[in-house]
Amino acid sequence: MYETFEHTADLGLRVVSPDLDTLFAEAAQGLTSMIVANLDQVKLVREVAFRVSGKSRDELLFDWLNEILYAFEAEHVLLARFEVHVGETGLEATAQGEPLDLDRHQLEHEVKAITYHGLKVEQRDGGWLAEVIVDI
Amino acid sequence: MPKDTYHGPLEKVNDCCWRIPKSYKQGMRVDGLIYANDELIDTIKDDQALEQVANVAFLPGIQHASLAMPDIHWGYGFCIGGVCATDPNEGGVISPGGVGYDINCGVRLVRSNLFYQDVKPQLKPLIEEMFRTVPTGVGREGKYHFDPKELKRMMAEGPGRLAERGLATPGDIDHTEARGRLDGAEPENVSPRALERGKDQCGTLGSGNHFMEVQVVDAVFDAVAAGAMGLAKDMVCVMIHSGSRGLGYQVCDDALKLLRGVPEKYGISLPDRQLACAPVESPEGRHYLGAMRAAANYAWCNRQLLMWQAREAFESVFGEPWQGLQMNLVYDVAHNIAKFEEHAVGGKSRRVWVHRKGATRAFPPDHLEVPDIYRRIGQPVIIPGDMGRASWVMAGQSGSMEQTFGTACHGAGRVMSRTAAVKHAQGRRIDQELERKGVIARARSWKGLAEEQPDAYKDVNLVVDVVHRAGLAKKVARMRPIGVIKG
Repeated sequence: MYETFEHTADLGLRVVSPDLDTLFAEAAQGLTSMIVANLDQVKLVREVAFRVSGKSRDELLFDWLNEILYAFEAEHVLLARFEVHVGETGLEATAQGEPLDLDRHQLEHEVKAITYHGLKVEQRDGGWLAEVIVDI
Repeated sequence: MPKDTYHGPLEKVNDCCWRIPKSYKQGMRVDGLIYANDELIDTIKDDQALEQVANVAFLPGIQHASLAMPDIHWGYGFCIGGVCATDPNEGGVISPGGVGYDINCGVRLVRSNLFYQDVKPQLKPLIEEMFRTVPTGVGREGKYHFDPKELKRMMAEGPGRLAERGLATPGDIDHTEARGRLDGAEPENVSPRALERGKDQCGTLGSGNHFMEVQVVDAVFDAVAAGAMGLAKDMVCVMIHSGSRGLGYQVCDDALKLLRGVPEKYGISLPDRQLACAPVESPEGRHYLGAMRAAANYAWCNRQLLMWQAREAFESVFGEPWQGLQMNLVYDVAHNIAKFEEHAVGGKSRRVWVHRKGATRAFPPDHLEVPDIYRRIGQPVIIPGDMGRASWVMAGQSGSMEQTFGTACHGAGRVMSRTAAVKHAQGRRIDQELERKGVIARARSWKGLAEEQPDAYKDVNLVVDVVHRAGLAKKVARMRPIGVIKG
């Protein structure tokens, strides 16, 4: 489950999930939902595979979200559904989505960057919590 | 992440200035100095900005003070509206967080020989033409596409390269800060990712708080300075606020990744990892500087092309070449940048790296970097406000050199979060409210407009007032928006 939270100039994303794999998947969905208002209108017609290495979980989240952002910014692909496996040395993931269609996709925010500000990935109440702020 | 009210020491120095003494936190090398007034300082205490001002004071080689302008709010490591200068001869560092993600985000002002009465009957078609032809918003490409070789030349040379293609005039270059070109740019230090993000975005406005506004000179405060800038009451102008687009954001991102673990390598201890930095003279420092300068030069190309498109929109609506309309560039300033400048510190002249993050250079009269025609009055300082109230034009004064490394504020500064602004806008048509105030607004998304509504910002008049009273820059003219396009 993800939601946005307050920040003066930008947007915060908070994710609460039962396990780490779901946390990373929902965080990516949360990011895409900040870019496009109608996430449910994104068709799942293209599949992209990712491999991101990193041991520290918060930096891994950071690098993972950067991959999703780059896919949108440079390759103009909106990714909406994710399957992620987080291991000791990094993660592997497949993401589904479609190329950007300005006629159908209601774009809402230009996410300039993922920031380290208040970045956290931690265990909480038997599950996991992540928080990240994105620069708008 | 809650907003934490500042509870540390804050001493009033005078009506325009407060001090955080360096005794506040172990590790502060200098005091913090915040330019504000009694009203602004209360809201400034409401978030982490002052803590960030104190944290910046930890940076090796920092000179005089960790400075903040009246429009500060919290950011990443450095607050927005922060200024710090480091001396390489004292192990001074360069920090990408002190420049910002949007490298060389800045603003330019274009004047014209049209007055409000001339434009009013054509205002809606003009704004609609601008909205139709100037690329705004997320995911929209520009109409100019540059291959990698050409992009690298633009990153090396700035808008001077566009002049060779007939997209800039000598006057445009003369009236751009640094003539649109930071020497020592290293396009090879800009990653393929950054090039990918930026290649189709040069000449696009972007989103968020970027805008292109049609404005009217509402009031003139200094007739001589306004005259030198070619401004007069009721004159119609265009103000453009944008930066280095995805290219710059990626350069900053790449630099922050490069700097992971680097401060520790140089024995630099930081209270916040977002103050990630490296000595200027280190390989990492030099790498970032080369890339930052390249991104800055790209941003000047971006604003040049945006201005070119604005000129074309006016041509289309008024049926006259822009040269005939005398749509000349008054000046272009950067407000997210680091510059190597000469300043007096403790009576001695030093060359220091001045980081301006959400802060604008404001050089005084007689300074050699000020264009000839402004040498008598001081460097024009363009201060965008919010789209409901006002923007300002000021002229740099000697007080800036004495107090703030030649720097003034950059704009109004936010007071309301984006989510709060959207809530505040529920059920409201911001565009209609603006139209009732005489401002025609066109934006790509309702949410974007809601987030950028006037209530979300501090009153820029208060901010500018502090800058004027502190002697950093003087008021020249206040501008009133009559039309705006946003992403």
